[in-house]
This record gives sequence, C-alpha cells and structure tokens, in this order.
Amino acid sequence: IKIIVIGKWRLGVGKSCLLLQFTDKRFQPVHDLTIGVEFGARMITIDGKQIKLQIWDTAGQESFRSITRSYYRGAAGALLVYDITRRDTFNHLTTWLEDARQHSNSNMVIMLIGNKSDLESRREVKKEEGEAFAREHGLIFMETSAKTASNVEEAFINTAKEIYEKIQEGVFDINNEANGIKIGPQHAATNATLAGSQGGQQAGGGCC
Amino acid sequence: MDGHKEFYDQYAQSQEKSVVNKMQQKYWKTKQTLIKVTGKKEDEHVVASDADLDAKLELFHSIQRTCMELLKAIELYQKRICFLSQEENELGKFLRSQGSQDKTRAGKMMQATGKALCFSSQQRLALRTPLSRLYQEVETFRYRAISDTWLTVNRMEQYRTEYRGALLWMKDVSQELDPDLFKQMEKFRKVQAQVRHAKLNFDKLKTDVCQKVDLLGASRCNLLSHVLTTYQTTKLVCTCLCYI
Repeated sequence: IKIIVIGKWRLGVGKSCLLLQFTDKRFQPVHDLTIGVEFGARMITIDGKQIKLQIWDTAGQESFRSITRSYYRGAAGALLVYDITRRDTFNHLTTWLEDARQHSNSNMVIMLIGNKSDLESRREVKKEEGEAFAREHGLIFMETSAKTASNVEEAFINTAKEIYEKIQEGVFDINNEANGIKIGPQHAATNATLAGSQGGQQAGGGCC
Repeated sequence: MDGHKEFYDQYAQSQEKSVVNKMQQKYWKTKQTLIKVTGKKEDEHVVASDADLDAKLELFHSIQRTCMELLKAIELYQKRICFLSQEENELGKFLRSQGSQDKTRAGKMMQATGKALCFSSQQRLALRTPLSRLYQEVETFRYRAISDTWLTVNRMEQYRTEYRGALLWMKDVSQELDPDLFKQMEKFRKVQAQVRHAKLNFDKLKTDVCQKVDLLGASRCNLLSHVLTTYQTTKLVCTCLCYI
C-alpha cells in the first residue's frame, strides 16, 4: 500500500518527524529539508494479514510543489498534516486538499492530522476546528505528536485499516497497481505501501 | 532511513564526477536556460517561491536606474546653472555700463541692480561645488557598490538556473518512481543529491543578494542625505544673499 504524506515543509509541520516516529520510533527535532521525497516502510498486521506500508514523505516547500504532484499518483491513502501551533498551516489545507484530490485516485483515503499536540500552550488551531474541517470535507481527523509519539501509530494504522476496508468492499481494484495496492508474493501476505510526508497539509495513500 | 540517505548521498557524490552525470547535468541546465531565454512559462510554484528574491531584484534595478538618472540630471543641472550665471552676469554688466552713462536716478538704480545681478551670478556658481561632489559620490557608488551587487546577482542567477534545471530533472525522474526498484532509486538519489547541492548554493546566494540589496538601498539613503546637506546650505545662503 502506498501512502503519501503531504504538507508544507517551510512551515515545518513535522511530516518527516511523523514518518521517523512511525518507522523508527525515534524523534529528531532537527531535520534536513526534505528534497523531493523520502521513503519509509513498515510491516503491520490487520485482520491477521501482513501488510507492508510504503510511506512517501514528500517535500512541502513551494518549489517542490509540482514535483510532489507526481507522487500522488498511485497512492491509496494520504495524511494531510498541519501544525496546531501555526494557524497559517491550517489555512493552507484547502489548497493542498484540492491538489491531492485533483492529482490522485478519487477513492484515496485522506486523513487530516493536527501535529504537535504536545505544544498545548502554543496552540493556535482548536481541536474543534480540525474536526469541523474534516467533517466538511469527509476526512478522518486525528491530533498527533511526533515528539511524544501519541497517536502516530494510530494515524498510520487507521489509514491502513480504512484502505483495507475499502479493499474488502471492493472499492479498490487490487489487480490494478495504479491504486497503490500490490498483492505480496504469498497470497496470505498482502503487501501495502504507505507514503507519508509531514509538514504542510496532506498525507498519503496506502495500497496493499 | 537516515543511514540510507547518507549512504546514498555519499554514493551520489562519488558519482557526481562521472562523465554521464556531467552531461545530464548540462542537459537540464541548458534546458532551463532555453526555457528562460525563450520566455516559456516556468513552473508557477517555483517562481512563486522566489517572490521575495524577485522583489529585491526589482528594488536593485530601480536603484540602478535612478542612480543613472540622478547623474544625468546633475549634469544637466550643472550646465543650466552655468548658463544662467553667465547670462545673469552679462545682464548685470550691461546694466552697469548703461547706468554709468545715465546721470538720472534711474541710472543709479540700474547700476545697483547690475551690481546685485553680478553678485548673484557669482553666488550661483558656488552651488557647483556641492553638486560636483554629489556627482562624484554617486558615480563612485555606482562603480563600486552597484557593480559589486550586480556581480553577486549574476552569480545568483547562474545558480538559480542550475537549481531550476535540477528541479526539472527531479520532476522528470519522479514520474515513474518506485522505491522498491533499486535501479530507479539509485538514479533518484543521484538527482536528489544534485538538487540538494544546487539548492544549497542557490539559497546562499539568494540570502547574499537580499542582504546586499538592502544594504545598497540603505547606504544610498545615507550618502544622499549626507551630501545633500552641503548643497542645501549653499543653496540657502545663495537665496538669502540674493534677496538682500
């Protein structure tokens, strides 16, 4: 399953930190600027099935925007990340969402992530606002903290679950690789890739 | 993930010197130059990300232009002052000579006016000293400060072309990227290192240009306010004396 993480890096919403926390269970406060895209992968188990999430952590900086667009293709899920301590990252969500919807599969599962929930004292965007935005656009919403690891696992795994359910329902055609889902070598093991990027506003899709 | 990144970066760096890589690099740089020269539409997001830099460049060009205009204006002004002073002087002389032949009160007045005109023409010439000083200062400013900034701007533009070329390249290899295929990843890492390198260079020059232009603007203000004070004082003296 391929999942991509999108969002604006310049605002440093923490896409790369989320990915690092999920794949390596580490937190690194200072990150190099993401150039184009970085990758991460992790195996998870849903419903007794092994799923490999392939996560694409995209660059959020504006100059990489058109490059990032080519990564949407073939993503089954996206994490749209904003920073709860910075109102401007939240305000940009709509543009990123449009971008994602326009350049990807229409069935792509999109999850809205409000990152840096550990910085409660500097919060600028209320949880309710995030919830309202997610409701309005039909997204799943979660607040996470890449620093304390709270909800990071859940965010990725819930996205994967959502995708998995869609596969069960037959919404995703697993034989079509353009959906970002690939069946593993053994029938039992489903191979999923989840790509995520942290920073701006959106995150990935998954395929199994 | 970071370990991989470092490994790939090192690997890519060792590759950087290879001939094929050089060729590809040149190819994308040339492509970008071509896009720029032919005025084809560039990636709007890339252009937008340089908005602050472009604003500074605009400011730089305006400084360049207005300095040139100021020099021309000073030159013209100097010339006019000379003419005016000459004419004034001649009129003064004429009045004095006519006045000396006229024995009436009118003759006396003509003589007095003529004397005043001659004096004022002298005073007017005094304006030339602060003006030529201003001219010299602006000229030096143009030769030193502006041309130095101009060099930096040129270097920056070169790096910008390189960076944008690298971005084009990256966009190209991103089209069919699959992290599970080693061959593709190898290529992607190579381009990624290239972009990172070009970006580093470009960002550094970008900061340099922005700072230099700011400094240039500030130092011009400083220069003008300094030199113009002498001009103003002389002008005031001249005007006062003329009224007396």
